[in-house]
Amino acid sequence: MASSEESGPVESTGSLAARPLLEFHQVSKTFKDGTAAVGDVTMSVSAGEVVSIVGPSGCGKSTLLRCAAGLETPTTGAVEADRANLGYVFQDPTLLPWRTVEGNVELLAELDGVPKAERSRLVDDALTLVGLSEARRQLPRQLSGGMRMRASLARTLVLDPAVVLFDEPFGSLDEITRERLNDEVQTVLRARRAAALFVTHSISEAVFLSHRVLVMSRAPGRIVEEVEIPFPFPRPHELRYEPEFARISGRISQALREGSR
Amino acid sequence: MKRFGKADVLGPLAVALVFVGIWYLVAYRLHNNFNDNGTVNFVPPPHKLFMGTSDAWPDMLRAMWLTARTAFIGLMIAIVLGVSLAIVMAQARWLERSFWPFLVALQAIPILAIVPLLASVFRTSSTPPRLITVVLIALFPIVSNTLFGLRSVDQPHYDLFKLRRAGRFTQLVKLELPTASPAMFTGFRISAGLAVIGSIVADFFFTRGDPGLGRLIQQYFFDNQPPRMFVASILASLVGLTFFLVFGWLGRRVVGRWQPGAFGAR
Repeated sequence: MASSEESGPVESTGSLAARPLLEFHQVSKTFKDGTAAVGDVTMSVSAGEVVSIVGPSGCGKSTLLRCAAGLETPTTGAVEADRANLGYVFQDPTLLPWRTVEGNVELLAELDGVPKAERSRLVDDALTLVGLSEARRQLPRQLSGGMRMRASLARTLVLDPAVVLFDEPFGSLDEITRERLNDEVQTVLRARRAAALFVTHSISEAVFLSHRVLVMSRAPGRIVEEVEIPFPFPRPHELRYEPEFARISGRISQALREGSR
Repeated sequence: MKRFGKADVLGPLAVALVFVGIWYLVAYRLHNNFNDNGTVNFVPPPHKLFMGTSDAWPDMLRAMWLTARTAFIGLMIAIVLGVSLAIVMAQARWLERSFWPFLVALQAIPILAIVPLLASVFRTSSTPPRLITVVLIALFPIVSNTLFGLRSVDQPHYDLFKLRRAGRFTQLVKLELPTASPAMFTGFRISAGLAVIGSIVADFFFTRGDPGLGRLIQQYFFDNQPPRMFVASILASLVGLTFFLVFGWLGRRVVGRWQPGAFGAR
């Protein structure tokens, strides 16, 4: 077993200098069929910090997240994370079609054995946070794509994770919905004082949400560039149209092109 | 929500009219079909269907009840056995491969070949061999549909459960069985129809105990009473139809809400 489960008690001071909540030490992953997905990644996410990873399709971004969540075991290296305190937002909403919105949001707490009364309080909080209280008794098929993604986000937030892993969650949504959800993710993460590791192939999404953006090369993915995003939080919607935003995006785009060669 | 369109009524009505027309044609064109006193020899026309059969009705209704009861109990046994077997088979590929050939064999052997064999083994009892017949004929669609359903869980859903370290049983109850339920009810519905066939076929061969519809049909055949055979056959199809509708309705109740389009629900 290459990954260790515990990182000791987590102190959420909100300071970026705090002990990392999630650490990758020289992690690489080669699948049984010989596909080298991730090659030697070392990085960390501190309390309250939002870090994005951008990279070309198939560069092993998702594999990295799966290693963090314990869904894959790294071939070499180690991941340090408190798994019980980790949230995972999948690429698709992955809602259970036979459960209502609140039933879906309840699921992870239910699997963790949280008592019924507390569960319904947690569900209420999470639904309010993502603005889905009205739709709580609806079934997934009755919701729009954006609402399904919100339900999926609420499901993750129910357990109040210290770090949320996002696996390209908004890739299939239209631009307007995507930007609105980015605004909401920012609000939600700040409200919960949660850190995040956000995998995406949208540069503007990464720049808008993150303290730091890491650029990955094509597979086997390595981190080829790290860009600090200097804008203060909370970031207004209009930030996306500032010249400085465009300049930083351009720099990341160039690093991406160089890394994809 | 509109439940029936014009096409849902007019189409079936047209088909029914053509069918009844052909029926009349056959009844009145058949040589020697009618006696001078108006009684029917072979094919009764629709309006004379029940003519001269009234004295047999109590027997027939009781036989219908027996046939339905055997089919129902057998079907319940087949559902419990079939779903359990599918769950076992879904646990590992080697288990699936171990059981599958025998299920296919069971499916491939004609029920008419097995029943006489059973009859010669169970010479003195009546209910068990009938139930075995029903289970044998109804088992395969239940196992294959349930297994297919259990296997159709999406990997991300498994990941979701794995994130919280859900146990195998939790996964089965909260993820796999609900995912499988539309396929399971499709299997139940197919088997419901087969169970009635099994019950009637068994009745042909197991002559102990009270007669079911199968034995009555046989008896009317030997007594040369086609009109009664017709009525008994209609009662048999009513049993089959009822089973089919009940399981369709059950399926709609269970999965129709979140799986529109399943079982004709819109």
